[in-house]
Amino acid sequence: MNLSLMTAYVVVISLYVNLGIALYGVFARPSLVKKLLAITILSDTANAFAVLVGYRWPASGTPKPPVYTNTTFNNQTLHYYVSHAVDPLPQALVLTAIVIGLAVTVFIAFIIIQYYRLHGTVDVRKARR
Amino acid sequence: MRASELFVLVSIIVFIFSLAYITSLGGLGQLPPVNVRLLAQRYLELTWNPLKPFMSSSGYESVTAIVWDFRGLDTFFETAVFYGAIIAAIAIYRGVKISGKGRTTGMSPIARTITRLSTILIPTVAASIALHGHLTPGGGFQAGSVATVIVVLIIMVFGRKALIRKGMTKARILLFRSLGLLGIGFTAVAILLAGTALGLNAYVFQNQPKPFAPLGFPKLYDGMILGGSLLLFNLFEFIAVTAGFTLVLLLLSLGEEEVRGVVEK
Repeated sequence: MNLSLMTAYVVVISLYVNLGIALYGVFARPSLVKKLLAITILSDTANAFAVLVGYRWPASGTPKPPVYTNTTFNNQTLHYYVSHAVDPLPQALVLTAIVIGLAVTVFIAFIIIQYYRLHGTVDVRKARR
Repeated sequence: MRASELFVLVSIIVFIFSLAYITSLGGLGQLPPVNVRLLAQRYLELTWNPLKPFMSSSGYESVTAIVWDFRGLDTFFETAVFYGAIIAAIAIYRGVKISGKGRTTGMSPIARTITRLSTILIPTVAASIALHGHLTPGGGFQAGSVATVIVVLIIMVFGRKALIRKGMTKARILLFRSLGLLGIGFTAVAILLAGTALGLNAYVFQNQPKPFAPLGFPKLYDGMILGGSLLLFNLFEFIAVTAGFTLVLLLLSLGEEEVRGVVEK
């Protein structure tokens, strides 16, 4: 098994473990703060998955970031860039997802703070009583 | 462990293994892939391509080109969502007075001196990330996130009231946030407005000249890559994100005694 494939397996397995931890936090933990932390882990895991799907290991050489770094432009430099750079689209979508995720997280955090001020607890079991 | 907790745990494990099995059937394909998809190849090819001026963007950075040119409208609405979330957060805190009056207790002189130095260094780095967003990894949102670090430091080291006394009031920060968003909106329609005034075809979110739409933002100035509309978008997004984060941090740093009275009404 070559190194790049083994690394990909380790990353994928780690992401699934992360997903499990996040779902456990959302469904099983009674604290709203821990639920919020779990949601952020869940969204980060989904984002990392998206970036992983856009990653590549070219047939020759190593993968490059999606930034054109040659100051001169010709067909050779363009071909090298297109054949070595990783997919920029998942990165752009993840950037959007991070911003929206952050906006939602901020809003939920404010609601949790207000909830604590009204009920004196962030434990959903205690608040129900 | 109770039966209900065990049920949740087993359900999650079964779900994760099912998801892993489904994706291994062909959802993700070979990992890591040798090639990128055709759409990605087109984006990479057209990020900086003087041979295809009507189709290419105006910077070296493919992610920024996608975010603010190829898929600019998506990003515009994403910025609007972020703005909406901040407005919603302010609405929750309506009626709460954010005052800069009173004594502040800060940290030690060492922490204060380091923070004072950082008030120059961190915004400089942030501005560099924003202004080079079309050439190197970075952009307006990343720069705004970096700039917010100094706000966190000031609140922690000098106290929230010190920040307000320096002029960072809620109204002023909201004004900057709105100016940032207006700037993004204006840049999106600038070419369309110019085209309408001159009687030429133009599009919303137009960056470079297109066939039958000859207007566009400048790509180069004296050999220097300007990035067309990418530079302006990054700059305004930087302002909007910095102001948005600052406002959120200001509200989050409010003490219990300042808010409780309003909440209990």
